[in-house]
Amino acid sequence: MCDTIINIVNIVGKEVVRTVIGLVGVFIVVLGNAIMLTWTERKVAGHIQRRIGPKEVGPFGLLQSFADSVKLLGKELLTPANVEKPLYFLAPTLIFVPVLVTFVVIPFDGFLQVKDINTGILVILAFSSLTVLSILIGGWGSDNKYSLIGAVRSVAQNIAYEIPLLLALLPVILMANSFSLRDIAEAQRGAWFVVYQPIAFLIFFVASVAETNRTPFDLPEAESELVAGFHTEYSGMRFSLFFLAEYTNMFIVSAIAVTFFLGGYQGPILPGVVWFFIKTYLLVFVLLWFRWTFPRVRFDQLLNFSWKILIPVSFLNLLVTGGILKL
Amino acid sequence: MTMTNRVIEEFKAEFKSVDITEAPYEKQGYHLSIEARTGNLLNIIDFLDKREFYIVDLFCVDYQDYLELVYFFNTHRELCRIKVTLKLDPVKPVAPTISNIYTIARWYEREVHEFFGVYFEGHPNLTYLFLHEEIGHYPLRKQHVPVPDGDKKLLNSFRPHEEENSFFINLGPQHPSTHGVLRVVLKMDGEYLISAEPVLGYLHRMHEKMAENKSYMQFLPNPARMDYPGALLFNLAYVEAVEKLCGIEVPERAKYIRTITCELNRIASHLLWLGAFPADLGALTPFMYAFDDRENILDILEDVTGSRLTYCYFRFGGLYNDINEETFIDATKRFIERMRERLVMYDKLITGNVIFINRVKNIGILEQGQAKKYGFSGPVIRSTGIPFDMRKVEPYAAYGSIDFEIPTGHIGDNMDRYMVRMKEIEISLNIIEEGIKRLPSGPFKTEKVPKKLKPPKGDIYNAVESTRGETGVYIVSDESDTPYRMRWRVPSYSNLMTFPHLSRGVLIADAIATLGSYDIVVPEIDR
Amino acid sequence: MGKRSFYLETKDPIIKFAVLDKILDLARANSLWPITFGLACCAIEMMCASMARFDIARFGAEVFRPSPRQADLMIVSGTVTKKMAPILVTLYEQMPSPKWVIAMGNCAISGGPFVFEGQYNLVEGVDLLVPVDIYVPGCPPRPESLLEGLMKLEEKITGTRRFPVPEPKW
Repeated sequence: MCDTIINIVNIVGKEVVRTVIGLVGVFIVVLGNAIMLTWTERKVAGHIQRRIGPKEVGPFGLLQSFADSVKLLGKELLTPANVEKPLYFLAPTLIFVPVLVTFVVIPFDGFLQVKDINTGILVILAFSSLTVLSILIGGWGSDNKYSLIGAVRSVAQNIAYEIPLLLALLPVILMANSFSLRDIAEAQRGAWFVVYQPIAFLIFFVASVAETNRTPFDLPEAESELVAGFHTEYSGMRFSLFFLAEYTNMFIVSAIAVTFFLGGYQGPILPGVVWFFIKTYLLVFVLLWFRWTFPRVRFDQLLNFSWKILIPVSFLNLLVTGGILKL
Repeated sequence: MTMTNRVIEEFKAEFKSVDITEAPYEKQGYHLSIEARTGNLLNIIDFLDKREFYIVDLFCVDYQDYLELVYFFNTHRELCRIKVTLKLDPVKPVAPTISNIYTIARWYEREVHEFFGVYFEGHPNLTYLFLHEEIGHYPLRKQHVPVPDGDKKLLNSFRPHEEENSFFINLGPQHPSTHGVLRVVLKMDGEYLISAEPVLGYLHRMHEKMAENKSYMQFLPNPARMDYPGALLFNLAYVEAVEKLCGIEVPERAKYIRTITCELNRIASHLLWLGAFPADLGALTPFMYAFDDRENILDILEDVTGSRLTYCYFRFGGLYNDINEETFIDATKRFIERMRERLVMYDKLITGNVIFINRVKNIGILEQGQAKKYGFSGPVIRSTGIPFDMRKVEPYAAYGSIDFEIPTGHIGDNMDRYMVRMKEIEISLNIIEEGIKRLPSGPFKTEKVPKKLKPPKGDIYNAVESTRGETGVYIVSDESDTPYRMRWRVPSYSNLMTFPHLSRGVLIADAIATLGSYDIVVPEIDR
Repeated sequence: MGKRSFYLETKDPIIKFAVLDKILDLARANSLWPITFGLACCAIEMMCASMARFDIARFGAEVFRPSPRQADLMIVSGTVTKKMAPILVTLYEQMPSPKWVIAMGNCAISGGPFVFEGQYNLVEGVDLLVPVDIYVPGCPPRPESLLEGLMKLEEKITGTRRFPVPEPKW
């Protein structure tokens, strides 16, 4: 058996094997993250609200997410009569593709990265715009007024908040002199970039809350106004794909924030991977905390905030950084 | 010179042929009674409109030889209740509409039409409001009167026709929030509302028809189901009306306990609103905290009354049973202390939150001038600056001897309604403290109440200040042991009907925030 | 509307998978997602059951989904009037199977305190419209009763009961 494996490795080449193993690892991380986050969100919500959250399903309610996913797998796959079938079926699958692609370039440790593309951050930003496309397709194809309003809101919101997201990342790229994520993580050997760029960190974090459609910016799925927003007509496994994509998106934006501003995988004593996960989940916890504390902003307040406040401030930050680096 | 005398003088000067009599206020609950005719009804209504009277209620009573349309008016400045009646022919009842003068009459007249079959000339939209389309008779008539075939088209309650640049969206009747079964049809242009039209009747539980079939004692559980968060206050309105009609005296201790439990219920209802209002805006955590506090009140009241939500604690002449002095007073004092700290916490969590303030300030502004046309009451009218509270205007139970102030707002936006309710919780805590200090000992019930209550012939109107506004009950008795007609004037009805006016040209998120700040309960509208 | 439909399992499915069915039943029983369908007074007690004191989240059922396509349990809490009846049936049909219905409160079971001679607007019991699995009596039932109804529904789905039945002390 060992001989056949070594033969295959020699034929195909070390790079390909490494990539395949990396992709399998990425799948495991994505699924494990989604399963863990559903449980964590409900527990965190419970404790903020002075109750316990899931408790009976397994010890400490740990099997709750398994019960949810098995139940959703066994649900009837209902297709409403008037939907546009190609769009309706495409939307949940399309929302997962960019998520998986962005995982390819995130550095979990010094060499634990599937592929170190040297325009890493551009790949991430380009692919994460595709999530908006899938929300729009889902909302349009559902042939339902609530979904349409939710999808339209989501498009406006995402377009408005992508610009500050990008502008907040540019100063760090200027300082590290490279687009590749590993180089940026390595460039923080001396001091983390959050020390030099606190404003950019805050702007990036707020814009990423809007990009992942979490409260206080969760207008596309505003529960008390539009019945359930853009995923009103989705049931069973298709609905759970939307949910998994949201949780994975949360992980990705936290991972990018950690890599760009909080030193990536660097830290004393413990191995880099462990530090990476600790920092990322700390930011994910802050995202969960926001959901159960703040009310929702209104739509025009949301757009005003982005176009009139976030973009000028981040522009100014970029100019100042560029000026200082030149001198 | 009191308002009553002034009105009599001016009325006699203007309308020489119309009968105006002064009714005994203690027995009947209203001051003046005017008998109008179809010809001069509009002039009389105009006369009252010019003197700043607002319309309290509009309904119909079926005395089998004739139908009588009854209008009640009152002012915000001084209590002067005027009843205007109009007799109609039972076979083909036609009356002029007053909806050009008082806007809320549009909905009251629709209701009278569908329950009694009265036609209103000049009404813009005389379609059915509460009942479903297969009903083929007029329910509240004493005999079975079928709907004539030519009028079946009026049953068509709301069919919006599509237009070029707008679309219709339904808010409800299945709601993700706690409004109950209210359906509002919104006509939208993008995110902006062009018009909003409430469709009612999804929870019409026939309370007024039940009152005509059950005895006074058997009807006691019903008022609580009308307004379930503030059930004791509706109980109080009904029980006091019957006591005044029969001339039953209530002992002092019962009055004080009624006051204390009613104020506890008011706090519980406001806490429910405090949870639901931020939930409409998207904050899900204050819901949990507010219900936590509410559970304390429910424990205290459950100990005394036996139920958690739909209380039936008051009886004619007093209470069902006495409170257990040590446990009740102890628990209430501990609750008052705890609630005062929690109010500070709510201030920091909700009122001080920038996102909340931006969602709520300067939105849904209701002007004082609209108060007359709609007759809204409760925290809604107090937020516009008019200090009108039935507990001060017409004191009942023990409110006459307890001193408290009335909170008012400034401009009548959502923030003002929120602040008025928060201050009302504090004031209720003060009232409860005062009431406990002064609680007299003595019997909790009068002994001499007959089992089968047969009140003397006559009618009475009694109003209390429930959690949402002015609640009134009008009973006509014909000396038997079931009421001849019972009419409930509910505050959420007149509060809700300002919503179409306020929601023109606003964003849908603002419309929902405004609807949440009204604190309506649909079962009391639908009765 | 028609005659009362008590939901009895009268026919077994043709193909049965032993272990897979058991796992599916356990998963479905432990993650019942109700639809927000509060009609009247019982709705407040249903909300109390999902609040901090009684906490329906312990059993995995706190995710109240507003859209019927994502829910599997319909708790009919409150009176069903003739005007509301078609809407209830539409919502029930929009839910994907497997789905269950709990009739909470006396009004949903058989009309409640509003049944009298000459009533013209009431559907006397929601089981004249949709098949009902569990009846929870009370006016309104306490939140603990609703939780007991949930336990009974779990017993109906999986076949075994999770907690011991509370024994009366007298």
